[in-house]
Amino acid sequence: MIELSQVVKTFEAGLATPFTAVDGVTLSIPAARLTVLKGPSGSGKTTLLTLIGCMARPTSGRIHLHGLAADALPHLAPAEALEITSLPERFLTAIRRRTFGFIFQQFNLVRGISVLENVMLPTYPTGEDHRAVEARAVARLESLGLARHLRSSVDRLSGGEAQRVAIARALINDPAVIIADEPTAHLDSRLSEDFMGLMSQFKDAGKTLLITSHDPIVYDSALADLVVEMRDGRVVSET
Amino acid sequence: MIQHPGILALLVASGIVSLLLAAAGWQGFRILLGWDLRSGSEVQLDLERRTYLVSTLVANALLIQILSLFLFIFTAEGLHNQFVGAMCAAGSLAVNAYGYPTLLMKVATCLLAGVWLVLHRADTQGYDYPLIRPKYLLLLVLVPLVLTETWLQLSYLTGLKADVMTSCCGSLFGQGRQGFAAELAGLPLWLMQPVFWGTFAALLAAGFLLLRFRRGAGLFAGLSLAYLFVAVAALISFFCLYIYELPTHHCPFCLLKREYGWVGYPLYATLLGGAIAGLGVGALGLFRNRESLAAVLPTLQARLAWSALVLAALFTLIVGLWMILSPLRL
Repeated sequence: MIELSQVVKTFEAGLATPFTAVDGVTLSIPAARLTVLKGPSGSGKTTLLTLIGCMARPTSGRIHLHGLAADALPHLAPAEALEITSLPERFLTAIRRRTFGFIFQQFNLVRGISVLENVMLPTYPTGEDHRAVEARAVARLESLGLARHLRSSVDRLSGGEAQRVAIARALINDPAVIIADEPTAHLDSRLSEDFMGLMSQFKDAGKTLLITSHDPIVYDSALADLVVEMRDGRVVSET
Repeated sequence: MIQHPGILALLVASGIVSLLLAAAGWQGFRILLGWDLRSGSEVQLDLERRTYLVSTLVANALLIQILSLFLFIFTAEGLHNQFVGAMCAAGSLAVNAYGYPTLLMKVATCLLAGVWLVLHRADTQGYDYPLIRPKYLLLLVLVPLVLTETWLQLSYLTGLKADVMTSCCGSLFGQGRQGFAAELAGLPLWLMQPVFWGTFAALLAAGFLLLRFRRGAGLFAGLSLAYLFVAVAALISFFCLYIYELPTHHCPFCLLKREYGWVGYPLYATLLGGAIAGLGVGALGLFRNRESLAAVLPTLQARLAWSALVLAALFTLIVGLWMILSPLRL
């Protein structure tokens, strides 16, 4: 479970033009469930995702993470809650690598290298055995129907294929939480339904899913356990 | 004389270190007053963000501070031929009233800076800033000392006058003279030999106790510091006689000369490095109950203890070999 307590994120704080993107959000995101953050552009969904995913620090407020992987931090029992907004950068890196898998709106694949290399990329800093990583990456890509594209450059992929590569990359370190930012923004309806099908599999596998979207295919889906509506940086409703 | 490269480097380094530490001291003051990790307030999160940058800057400034001690004695040694009567750094430092106080203050800040770096290293290993308060408390002790040292050094270096007649090391460290240096030189061999070897043996025993049974960190730290003082006293009292092959020359600064293979630099580096490592063991021992450091402190203490022992052994080996190989017999 991820618990947010009075989280505020203000950009350019203390300058002439401060902008508060997230304003006092208190929220509990259940484990092994699908939570959708919905709301119009500029409502603070993506900023909130970056705070939860340890890619940015809030201006104030705290975020507690429960059920960390046993090797995420030394001598911390997995059941214990860990406050992540105060963590020094070296620990945040470890948390990002072990706990979260990110699927970005623009996919953020590295051009000029192959599909397989893109998927293996997040494992390089871990020093894990290359052959073991490659085998795992191949298995992920095969399970997502991308076996024939292993050695292809990512520049040649269609939108749906590129997204599945991004999903395989997000899963390569077997994270407990998958974070997806507007994952269906560039997909047609059929591909969006396929994406939700994949999310269903991950949910069944016990992954915690956190998706931002203003696509009804996502937030009206029966898969969504919690839909959090945001507007002007605040939580308007939870259903 | 102010245009001497060593003097310019010392003044610039001290200026930068003082400015950085003064700014960091203000941050340390804010942390000591307002740090509360349980709070999610804007002030607390701002302190958390700033401490990373400030600690990194302080760590680099203190490394410069440690190195500046050696640059200071190197410069003092290089300047001795500018003054009538000076034969080595001992004479250069006696040109005015600020030379020796600057040196002593540099040694003190070097030791404290080393301990701060040890605490900082340990603090970065914990996920909840386990040593943030002691680290910044020590910084607040360091800041006035470094600022005082900067003023002393500035007074010393700008007060160097070439027409001043100074004392040579033979008169400063000669037996039968007045003053603390002369008293050190006059310490009898029958007393200093057993004291030195006894302190070294006690340090080894304390190291064994610490590494084997993880006990006695405070004792080890105390003996490391004692070894530093005893070793310097022994160096002045009798070791340097073997190095100079002269039964009456007790100067601890002539060791920095080329004709003695610059042996003073490794000797003082091993002594100061060993003392810092030993004091670091003791400082970390005070915080062995911090939960987030429970896994890393024993390893860090063991590494520091090994470093202190190896450096002490290296010092003993160098002076011991010189004693054996020297044609002088006391």
